[in-house]
Amino acid sequence: MIKYLKEYRFYITLFFFLLIPIVAIDTATRRERDYRIYDRAILAVTSPLQSAITWTLDQLVSGFQNYIFLWNTRRDNLALLEENRKLLNSIASLRETQHENTRLRKMLQFQEKFRLDTVLARVIAKDVSTEFRAIRINRGESSGIHKDMAVVTNEGVVGRVMRTTKNTSDIVTILDLLSAVDAIVERSRARGIVEGMTDDVCQLKFALRTDDIEPGDVLISSGLGGIFPKGVPVGAVSKVKRKPFGITQEVEIRPSVDFSKLEEVLVVTRTLTDV
Amino acid sequence: MFKLILRILNPVVFFFMVVAGVAVQTSLFALYPLNYLQPDIILLAVIWCALRRNFIEGGILTLVFANVAEIHTSAPQGLFLCCYMAVYLGLRAASRFFIIPSISSLIIATLCSSILWKFSYVTVLHLLGAGAQQWRHMLMFLFPGAVMEGILGVWVFKAMERFDWITFKNEKARQMLEDELQLDGEGL
Repeated sequence: MIKYLKEYRFYITLFFFLLIPIVAIDTATRRERDYRIYDRAILAVTSPLQSAITWTLDQLVSGFQNYIFLWNTRRDNLALLEENRKLLNSIASLRETQHENTRLRKMLQFQEKFRLDTVLARVIAKDVSTEFRAIRINRGESSGIHKDMAVVTNEGVVGRVMRTTKNTSDIVTILDLLSAVDAIVERSRARGIVEGMTDDVCQLKFALRTDDIEPGDVLISSGLGGIFPKGVPVGAVSKVKRKPFGITQEVEIRPSVDFSKLEEVLVVTRTLTDV
Repeated sequence: MFKLILRILNPVVFFFMVVAGVAVQTSLFALYPLNYLQPDIILLAVIWCALRRNFIEGGILTLVFANVAEIHTSAPQGLFLCCYMAVYLGLRAASRFFIIPSISSLIIATLCSSILWKFSYVTVLHLLGAGAQQWRHMLMFLFPGAVMEGILGVWVFKAMERFDWITFKNEKARQMLEDELQLDGEGL
């Protein structure tokens, strides 16, 4: 038996190398996987690194901006350099605080408008591949975040919580290929499923050809599925392609959230309907 | 003895290097416009495994690295395992027909592997019914991604050569170590 195993070792190993990925792939549901114990161990290494790199980059960008301000000031008036430096630093800092305040105030207004219990979180990393569009935030189970909670900003729907660790959560955004959000057109109440397509475009699937949908129409979440609260903006129709035959029409959506500038998000831990 | 421990520690340290690399890739290259130039650290590691490790060790490391990729993405379960294993086996088969002796030939292998990886990725996605819109996106990123991996490969592979030499995993270093152990065994 051992002799046989030794003789065909290469083919047996090759068989297992081919078998493992095929067994692992979930053709039935196409679902993303949950974390296992050893996954969490790996994340315990990568998450702090990701946070540290994001923090360092923030500091570098902020330092670089301050340097540019100083350089201009020095050229203008050397005698006032010291005073100007302090002032400009304060201005930059205040401006950043002001921007942050504006963003947070908008989020607070959004939270009050929809009467939601939310957790504010910061985006610390993006997906490892360019084809999928998940993000990672710096809040997890310890902040009361669980799987399938809605993630929004004051601009609209961001996505849903895919999986969590103690201190981080992965969010599958509405741009992701595997994301699906039930939405309705605000004007005509036409219904469809918003699915991800590219880096800045989604598509509205299953919208009937006879539905009244025009470019510029705003889409809002329908509240079906129990993840997203009803009425949160999803995006605006950018292109409608209606063929003379068929059941559905092709509708492209530009998300209301600017994902390229996404810094903070709100995780909806409880909506009014849950109370 | 110390040298033998170093050699045993090689895959463990290699694993942590890849994990750190993925952390850098997902956070540093998340910023615009760097996100368009995101290199695939795991692909580089898989290429190294395919060309500089034995069949079993390289295959197991490939599965482990693919698993690291899977926990940093929303891709369907098993997708990365299939694609990285395809690249691994493809490269191992290619290395039987082509000699890849230097860094420059490794870079060419990297460029080809990157293209193979993207195509296998979109093909598997297509088979799963999730990649109908991805062909154009993939073609857009195909060459910038391959070039970035080629450029990064120059440093990564040099560093890996050095790392393998230090940990006695390199062919020459391993031979030297075995000679030394044999001499010790003979009492010389």
